[in-house]
Amino acid sequence: MSAYFENITNGFKSIFEGMSITFAAMFSRTETVQYPEVDITSNESIRKDCKGKTYKGTLMGMPDNYRGILNVDLSKCTACGLCMKACPIECIIINSVKCDKDKLADADGNPINNRFTQKGAIKTRTSTRFDINAGKCMYCGLCVMACPTEAIVHTKRFEMNTENLNDLVLRFVSDEQKEKAEKKANELEAEAAAKKAAKAAKEETSKDEGA
Amino acid sequence: MEKILMSLGLDLISAKVLAMIIVCIVVLLIFVTIGGVLTVVERRISGFMQSRLGPNRVGPQGSLQWLADGIKLIFKEDLIPTGSDRFLFRIAPYFCLLGVFGTMVVFPWGTDVIVADLNIGLFYFISITSLVVIGVLMAGWSSNNKWALLGGMRSAAQIVSYEIPVGMSLLVPILITGTLSMGGIVASQGWLPWDWMIFQSPFTLMSFVIFFIGSLAEANRTPFDLPEAESELVSGYCTEYTGFRYAVFFLSEWANLFVLGGLTTAVYLGGGNLPGILEGWSWLSVLVFLGKVSLVIFVLIWLRWTLPRFRIDQLMDLSWKYLLPAALIAFFGQALYMIATNGYPLLQSIIAGVMFLLFLFMMVKFFIRVKVNLFEMNTPVNSRATDVS
Repeated sequence: MSAYFENITNGFKSIFEGMSITFAAMFSRTETVQYPEVDITSNESIRKDCKGKTYKGTLMGMPDNYRGILNVDLSKCTACGLCMKACPIECIIINSVKCDKDKLADADGNPINNRFTQKGAIKTRTSTRFDINAGKCMYCGLCVMACPTEAIVHTKRFEMNTENLNDLVLRFVSDEQKEKAEKKANELEAEAAAKKAAKAAKEETSKDEGA
Repeated sequence: MEKILMSLGLDLISAKVLAMIIVCIVVLLIFVTIGGVLTVVERRISGFMQSRLGPNRVGPQGSLQWLADGIKLIFKEDLIPTGSDRFLFRIAPYFCLLGVFGTMVVFPWGTDVIVADLNIGLFYFISITSLVVIGVLMAGWSSNNKWALLGGMRSAAQIVSYEIPVGMSLLVPILITGTLSMGGIVASQGWLPWDWMIFQSPFTLMSFVIFFIGSLAEANRTPFDLPEAESELVSGYCTEYTGFRYAVFFLSEWANLFVLGGLTTAVYLGGGNLPGILEGWSWLSVLVFLGKVSLVIFVLIWLRWTLPRFRIDQLMDLSWKYLLPAALIAFFGQALYMIATNGYPLLQSIIAGVMFLLFLFMMVKFFIRVKVNLFEMNTPVNSRATDVS
């Protein structure tokens, strides 16, 4: 019998509490982001939509750990190919050639360290092809973890609609850069070959002299 | 109206018939508009309750969404499944609509604005709304679809069960007013809150609660929406319906919301009563009535988006084990109360005042609770940085 009345009081109490929650929700902030009208990749512009109205919700753009479309900073890239090896579906393709030795530094001149060895990263090779197929990519983030210089990163971008599948392949090295790099590499190779030849000739002459 | 038509050269009978048809069409149009607008209102309110926006694209703040929906549904193909009972399948939606539309006859829009103040008004009201169950059952049976049949059966079981507590609880106001006419019931109440039927005694409040729960169940609204439980029965009795017939079902469902609000307002919340000095201002009383109705409709929508659906056994338990005994207690309690306080009008008004104060106290408590919840809700979700390494 007491359970019977307990049921009734419990019913009224829970309805009371539930209705207070839904009523409060009516006056709480609306979380809807009217997506195509606002740029939700940035925290600043999400605050204003196209009509100049201010968005008042509690969502604040994409979170910092959001894994969007990949981007590569070629000035940091050492063309080591670790990302290519880390990628489980092989959507990254890198070809590389030799280049001038260069200590990597960021815009302020501070040296960039290799994440794994904690030593200054040295660039000895440059890529002539750095393609990421965003259509294949599954945004797992393994390449980002593998990169020693933090050259490859996830952006907060996620919109990439195209009419052509080939447009989904992101090419970070342009043809001009490729030609330039190849030319430079050829020069370096020729230089190295000349050096080698000179060294060999020298050794030969010294041999001759010794004989 | 008849005189205008007769001056155009019609005889008395055809003028009367024509006048009736015109009034019918006008009332039907008003009725349809109310049903349509309520769909948008419900969707907007439910949106806000779930931190969404709801439809806001068609017209200012989405206010013309119902027109867009209606036009879309009318232009859809009218499918009739093979193996269905074609005749029943076709007429079923109109039974639903008729059951709801029929109540317009005794709908007390204001103190003296009423189509026909029948002396059995309340009885007519609860009888004609029972036509809805026939329509639902017809739709379920004739569709030749197991989901539809289950939905129809559930609806029949539910509405028949809840008719009893609703009818019993409505006996309490009838006991006080001694009349079944809607006009009479409205006139027996005053314009002040403590003159309303709901605060007359603890037993009228009890009967109000029972009536409210029961009428929710009869309108097939969410804590009791088993007949069309989307997660279980696809769409219940209207699974096989498309286009215009589907629109009629939904129209009658939302118009039923308005009708329920009207009945609750007229019987328990003082209808469109005005203070003595404003006597005779019918348009003002209509406004007062509509204001109260919209408040009740808001509460109905609010309940729908708060409470989850019952199981069928819980539903039957609630009706037979809780509401029916409570309705009987309310009925006999009110009878005894009337005998006990007979001849002490002062005592009666004091009790009514105390009831009203209790209600105010509950409201204050409620809003304090709302404020607490609101504070908790407005803490930003991802203002804290999550770190994944």
